[in-house]
Amino acid sequence: MPKTTLKRVHGYLAEFSGAGDIYHAAEKVRDAGFQRWDVHTPFPIHGLNEAMGVKRSILPWFVFFGGATGTITAFLLCYITQCIIYPTVVQAKPTNIFTTPAFFPIMFELTILLSAFTALFGSFALMGLPRFNHPLFAAKTFKKFSDDGFFLCIEARDPKFHQAETKAFLEGLGGRNIELVEDEL
Amino acid sequence: MSSHSITLDDLPRDGERLDLAKVSKLNGALLVVGIAGLAVSVLYLFGFLGAQKQAEFAYSWLFAFFFFFTLTNGGIFWTMLQHVSNSGWSVAVRRFFENLGANVKWMAVFALPFILIPGIRSALWEWIVEQQHAGSYEGLATAAKVNHHLAILVAKHGYLNITFWVVRAVFYFGFLIGIIGLLRKWSIQQDTDGDFKHTFRSRALCAFPMLIYALVVTFSAVDWVMALDYTWFSTMWGVYIFAGGAWGSMAFSIIALSYVRSQGYLKKTVSMEHYHVMGKFQLVFTIFWAYIAFSQFFLIWYANITEETRFYLLRNTGGWWWLSNALVWLHFVATFVILLSAGRKKTPNVMNWVCGWILLNHLVDIYWLIIPERAPSLTSGKIGEALGYHGEPLLWLSGAWVGDVAAFGGIGGICAWAYLRRLAKASLYPCKDPRLLESVSCTN
Repeated sequence: MPKTTLKRVHGYLAEFSGAGDIYHAAEKVRDAGFQRWDVHTPFPIHGLNEAMGVKRSILPWFVFFGGATGTITAFLLCYITQCIIYPTVVQAKPTNIFTTPAFFPIMFELTILLSAFTALFGSFALMGLPRFNHPLFAAKTFKKFSDDGFFLCIEARDPKFHQAETKAFLEGLGGRNIELVEDEL
Repeated sequence: MSSHSITLDDLPRDGERLDLAKVSKLNGALLVVGIAGLAVSVLYLFGFLGAQKQAEFAYSWLFAFFFFFTLTNGGIFWTMLQHVSNSGWSVAVRRFFENLGANVKWMAVFALPFILIPGIRSALWEWIVEQQHAGSYEGLATAAKVNHHLAILVAKHGYLNITFWVVRAVFYFGFLIGIIGLLRKWSIQQDTDGDFKHTFRSRALCAFPMLIYALVVTFSAVDWVMALDYTWFSTMWGVYIFAGGAWGSMAFSIIALSYVRSQGYLKKTVSMEHYHVMGKFQLVFTIFWAYIAFSQFFLIWYANITEETRFYLLRNTGGWWWLSNALVWLHFVATFVILLSAGRKKTPNVMNWVCGWILLNHLVDIYWLIIPERAPSLTSGKIGEALGYHGEPLLWLSGAWVGDVAAFGGIGGICAWAYLRRLAKASLYPCKDPRLLESVSCTN
């Protein structure tokens, strides 16, 4: 395929010198009202969620209902097969609702299994994973984010994004090596 | 991390002292309840109300004693755990655990009737009656040839004999009083000298004795509660009691913390993050307790062996069935669902109600462990004969609940009163602990 020269602007990437700097920069970006932006740091920074104004994830609700589905599925599977379709008397135990303790291990396991699955795949879905590439990988300095670089990226799809003003804004926050990241189409 | 983060300069250098005058109303009320309860208890304990009432009250006393013993024990566990794991987050609230654990001195006093009053002792533990009746090990072995039920007591004689039983009780209290006494003493010494060595030696002290602590909790529960029926046994028993106690004591500590904060203390040192961490422990122990409780039930239910099923058969008969179900649906399911939410765990007002609920459920748990044994034990066997019962054992003795209330009020009132006074004796948090700042600014 011939390479096109068409490119789409992904956003501005700015580097900050440390955890404290990027924390305060995040607070200011939040207060400026940006929506589509993210912070990339080599290690988790306590309180950064609040500084970025990130809302609590909806994931716990997925996990709750995933787990509840597991409990109910396991119970029904056991109950229908052992008590209704083919009543199985084991050690003189009843074959009715009071057999439930025997189903507990399965209910327990399936609850955990489905909770774990919803937690894993739910977080993948919310993060937009898996994906083949990310525009930021094309940025010149971005590789440092997994070593000693603290990056803040304001994306072009943000309604408040402006080619000149956003750059000036990031410079005002103390951002260095500001780079316009472009995504090849 | 943020610009308004707390530094050590924001905290009072010598900590905060609870002013007893501020809480005198509550403290006075607790003392009155305690003394009134103890006064009534003394009438029961020494048999002034008759042998029948004394025997009934033995169970009341054990119930109240054991409830507060598990809470106290939990306080010791949480203190040791913070030291042994070198926890930074807990420094601001550690003194609540220390002071709760230090109540064990009082528990030793409240345990004296079990050893000193024969009427109380023999009403609770049939194995003591049988052994005293037989006179010696040989006598017991001879009696077992006629009454085959006694064979199990002959086999257990190496463990279940009065001398060893008393020696063990002394050791339990000696160990518990010693370890919490040292930890609390060093912690308070650090308040004045600020020496790091207290932190290190507390950690060193807790490492190996954690094992002894586990054994003490296990075997005290075996000696005093499991042995109510000497034929019954469960290897899950100790960890079951431990799980409930740690759960209840954390609930109590959260309530005490909220109460102290409502009086205007610890506003800077304790944050919602601490409530969140403690709430997480509550959730963990809700699950852990249920896991252990179910495992114990499950194995016995499945195996269906006569010696083992008696415990649950009794607790599934008559009105006790409702209480057994309350443990499943309220102690576990309801608490579990309530505690799932992080938001609720971070809201002190909600946590106070949840912790009250948890203490109530722990109370039901201990009641369910001890009180169902009362009527059948006192209306059958040698004790039943002495009290004039002949026929089928009863399931419920009417009027015995008065003693339960008196014993609970007596021991509980005195324990809570002593706890509040102890809180006021030193700073409300270890003000020179090297991890204090880490604790104050903890996030999770």
